[in-house]
Amino acid sequence: MNEYIGIAVSFVLAAGIAGATVVLGSTLGKKNPTSEKLAPFECGKDPFSLPKGRFAIKFYLVGILFILFDVELVFLYPWAVVYRALGISGLIEIGLFLGILMVGFVYAWDNGALNWE
Amino acid sequence: MSDLALLIPELILVVMAVGLILVARRIQRTPVAPVGTVFAAMAAALASGWVLSWGSKTGFGGMIILDGYSQFFKILSAATLALAVLLSVRSLDGEQVPRAEYHALLLLATTGMMLAVSAHDLLPLYLSLETMTLCSYILVGIRVERPSSNEAAIKYFLLGSFASALLIYGISLTYGVTGTTDFAGITAALSGHGPGTNLLLLVAIGLVSAGLAFKIAAVPLHAWAPDAYQGASAPVAAFLAAGSKAVGLAALGRVCLAAYSSEGHVLSAVLAWLAGLSIVVGSIIALSQTDMKRLLAYSSITHAGYALLGLIAGTPDGASATMTYAFFYVFMTLGAFGVVIALGERGEKLDGYRGLAAQRPGTAVLMLVFLMSLIGIPPTAGFAAKFVVILSVVRSGHMALAVLAVVCSVVSAFFYMRVAVFMYMNEPQESPPARFPVAVFAALAVAALVTVIGGISPGSLAPWAVSP
Repeated sequence: MNEYIGIAVSFVLAAGIAGATVVLGSTLGKKNPTSEKLAPFECGKDPFSLPKGRFAIKFYLVGILFILFDVELVFLYPWAVVYRALGISGLIEIGLFLGILMVGFVYAWDNGALNWE
Repeated sequence: MSDLALLIPELILVVMAVGLILVARRIQRTPVAPVGTVFAAMAAALASGWVLSWGSKTGFGGMIILDGYSQFFKILSAATLALAVLLSVRSLDGEQVPRAEYHALLLLATTGMMLAVSAHDLLPLYLSLETMTLCSYILVGIRVERPSSNEAAIKYFLLGSFASALLIYGISLTYGVTGTTDFAGITAALSGHGPGTNLLLLVAIGLVSAGLAFKIAAVPLHAWAPDAYQGASAPVAAFLAAGSKAVGLAALGRVCLAAYSSEGHVLSAVLAWLAGLSIVVGSIIALSQTDMKRLLAYSSITHAGYALLGLIAGTPDGASATMTYAFFYVFMTLGAFGVVIALGERGEKLDGYRGLAAQRPGTAVLMLVFLMSLIGIPPTAGFAAKFVVILSVVRSGHMALAVLAVVCSVVSAFFYMRVAVFMYMNEPQESPPARFPVAVFAALAVAALVTVIGGISPGSLAPWAVSP
């Protein structure tokens, strides 16, 4: 069980720090509420609307394109850590990977996914 | 780089798919996409045969295997792709389906199929099956302007994700028990302790079988198939019924024989239940269907059960019986769906077949051949296929299951023959269907040829049906 102690400690620390900030903020902090401050923070659209309201499909496309670059970064980062060890073959492989991902991006661009109107 | 050479067939399909995606907007109104896809499929089939001449080997750290079993199913997948593309020629014109994307998705789904049959590790197996099903979800819902198509895609997606979760859970439990996901490693790890002693492993095997049973639509994981096939366009339904079922069987066969072979008695009990239930439930529910695509969906569920009969024995002979079954099943199903496609809107309702023989005798004869093969009447391939799997199940000692299979064969004859009775013994009620394009005819001819040749010389496939 010894190897799990580290994980347990990090759980306790994470819960402790997160809990402490919430508790300290709500007890010690200055409270000066306005209606704007009390509104839940969301970006891109009105913070409040009924769920039956319509949601612009453009955000969905932006989300998909975000995933494209997100996946790219997820693989680029570990590659960057060991790129000296992988050498030229690693460079070619990551190039192929980026090339295939970019095909998706080119397709989206070509079919007008980047035109906001 | 020598590892990459093992994947030449897949690379051909991927390059074609990526090319189609890149120029998608410029080739929508041209026949570039279907022609290119058919050629890519033929090239991939030839390459699959060619790389086999180097002999069996593994690559990518033992994750990918090249052997007779994998190449058999790769060629079968490529044939499914080519026939599905030929069958979709006219139905694409009538719908608002983007051609390049449709064909790219078919190519990528087939790539997933090919990788799945040569996976020699649970994780590549999972990934490649996901590649196949993700493309299938979109293909089912590709007729975006039809609510029924969207509904089918959502149903298929939700149930499919659930089944994937079962599969990956089974894989993680297997990893927990054996410490590896590699098939050879699993076999080595399991040879240590006695069969049936590890409860966790039994749960893992149950979950993996359930995840794969979903792909072949075996009862009780069959509920998605009728809805998905009905909502999808007929060529997509044909592609799913033929391709994903053959690949699911191939994966199940590989997992049974190469990974969990030491737990053979548990696997054969699970597979026997899946097979028995599929045969009985599929045959009985099909009796009340009036929509041709639903009828063929229940027929495909029944056939999944028959194909599983070969795997119950857990022997190489049984696995090659299943391979033979999968091969002939693919062509007779594509043929039956092909006639449905050839008749257009009229072909999708059972009543549309009334008096077809008087109006289109040639089409009616083709349909009769496929129906006879689906029942298993000699001299068609369906008889040869059913014969080998039932023989295999008799040899493994499951007499009750063999009797059940034969009885249900007779039950299924009723709903297949009803179509034939409608064609030959009823008066036509609708105007004759339009002539169908030559591509559809070519696909039907190939399917009919394989169905007839397979029936006349059933042993012709035996040299290639080598189990893993």
